Amino acid sequence: MTGSQSSAPTNGRRRNEADVVVVGAGLAGLAAARELVTAGKSVAVLEARDRVGGRLLNHDLGDGQVTEIGGQFVGPTQDHVLTLAKELGVATYGATVPGENVYVHDGRAKRFSGSTPPDLLALPDMGIALARIAKAAGKVDPTAPWRAPNARELDGMTYETWLRKAEVTGAGVDLVNIFLNSAYGGEARDASALFSLWYVSTFGDETHPGTMERGTGTEGGAQDSRFVGGSQLLAQRLAEELDGRVRLSAPVRRISQDADGVTVISDAGDWRAGRVVVAVPPLLASRIVWDPLLPPQQDQLFQRLPFGTLMKCVAVYDKPFWRAEGLSGMGLLRDGSPIREMFDNSPPDGGPGVLMGFLGGKEWRRWAHRPARERRGAVLRCFARVVGERAFDTVDYVEQDWTAEQWTQGGPTSVAAPGVLTGYGEWMGRRFGRVHWAGAEFSPHWNGFMDGAVRSGKHAATELLREG
Amino acid sequence: MNCASEYKTREQKENVVVNKYVVAEKAVVNAPVERVWEVVSRTDRYAEWVAGAIEVTDHHGIATVGRTYAEHNRTLGPLRTHSVWTVREIEPMKRRVDTGTGFAPLRALTNIFEFQAVKGPDGQDATEMTYQVEYTMGLGPLGLLLDCIQQPAMRAGMRTSMANLETLLRSENSTTAR
Repeated sequence: MTGSQSSAPTNGRRRNEADVVVVGAGLAGLAAARELVTAGKSVAVLEARDRVGGRLLNHDLGDGQVTEIGGQFVGPTQDHVLTLAKELGVATYGATVPGENVYVHDGRAKRFSGSTPPDLLALPDMGIALARIAKAAGKVDPTAPWRAPNARELDGMTYETWLRKAEVTGAGVDLVNIFLNSAYGGEARDASALFSLWYVSTFGDETHPGTMERGTGTEGGAQDSRFVGGSQLLAQRLAEELDGRVRLSAPVRRISQDADGVTVISDAGDWRAGRVVVAVPPLLASRIVWDPLLPPQQDQLFQRLPFGTLMKCVAVYDKPFWRAEGLSGMGLLRDGSPIREMFDNSPPDGGPGVLMGFLGGKEWRRWAHRPARERRGAVLRCFARVVGERAFDTVDYVEQDWTAEQWTQGGPTSVAAPGVLTGYGEWMGRRFGRVHWAGAEFSPHWNGFMDGAVRSGKHAATELLREG
Repeated sequence: MNCASEYKTREQKENVVVNKYVVAEKAVVNAPVERVWEVVSRTDRYAEWVAGAIEVTDHHGIATVGRTYAEHNRTLGPLRTHSVWTVREIEPMKRRVDTGTGFAPLRALTNIFEFQAVKGPDGQDATEMTYQVEYTMGLGPLGLLLDCIQQPAMRAGMRTSMANLETLLRSENSTTAR
């Protein structure tokens, strides 16, 4: 059963029919489709790529092992994705590897335990920054950040400007930027202060207000766990469950609405549906040909929600040799290091050894277009600072540059510059006629995360079912 | 007062005594001279291996005689400077001479790299590299004192640079990127 039907060709193109067409087979689109099918709707999911998962992507290590080169971490309060995983039979395991972490600064590599880098000069700044973030983010309603006290003032400056107001040495911004390097694929100067405080406010659920600690934390935080078999397995299991309803290599080019329904034109044929759920990155949604046009405010919003610039760099070794030396493989690197944050990304049974580092933001701009050999060398030198020179003895090396993905165009999530949230934010997930929106970027909880994607898909399905 | 073995000459210029110094360090880099030359010739890459070069702020790619490049550098302790270098002499695989400005009170700064193909302990191709810096400093006895303070750091930086260069070459010599 595919959930959709074909009718006679129109203008030489076969037209398919379904109650709902879902555009995009990432986690959000697939979660929406699952809910709709459960509710008895006929559904067709159109995916531009030749695979499902969107920003979730496994890399095959051989012998049935994988490592993730897309989104991968889950943690407490991310109950929607964790529940979905349980239903799909995908187990989780603790991402934290026992051992000491390494902090590289001023030419020195220092081991440390816990989450606080051993930097007495930077800690006061970091403490001040975290206290201010907690206080200000606590006043932002994750469902309507544009209504926050001082929203216009906060949205009139970058996060860096806001952070520097209480800076002593500049180290606080640098340490926040380590986190943003992977979280935004950018820096504090790329985002509005309001957007960033809102982003922090989404690191929770309806009963646990978002906190920076939960968002940046490993054990007990957003980087607490990983999925056995890799995160893309969630999307693959969802697609299996949807039993032929997912059409791959079907990029949607045009969406037309009229009084009776919606026509979706894709490279794999045309669909006629009563409703559509669009679950693609906001910027890509704005590039679909819309008839009638998207409301201009919504179109402007989507154009102003580009993804950051992020590459995941993965080195594979025979075994995770650093563990025997008491190292966790986790490293924080400052001073313009190409890789600023890295983790042990080995499969759950500990072999082969995998180190993964984020090359994001301005470091991506510096390195993305350098020759592959030079970039790989720079990445491995970062890894070597943390785990020693055996980092050079790779058996494999892989890079996933999300900016080079036509159907993502950046990563890991949308980042709003000053003025966007207060100017256009209320158009975020507003239904457009028969079109509903889903995607991690539309979620008021765990925005930009897998949990946000699942939430948004379920929300879009609920909205659709309620309204029609 | 003379704290450096390479302390060279005192010159009288316009009635001011100028101390001229030559500081040299030597190391064997475990890579063929062709690869060493390839990396050293790239003016955009100095921040990747030259100790104290925080960032190359302007460059012209592969070093060309008469052209310049610029860096943001660490000097002593927390002190920073902007330097501009001019390529003066190139003898492929053998010698490179640049002159620089921006390191006051060091003046007439000349940076010389010399290379010689050698064999490493396991018979592999390696490169003996000589890293030499020449400069003058005024300020009379105070200049000598300052040099006593800065020269050990300069030497350490030169040794670190050559070690960094070897690490860079090793890191780029591992398995092929996909």
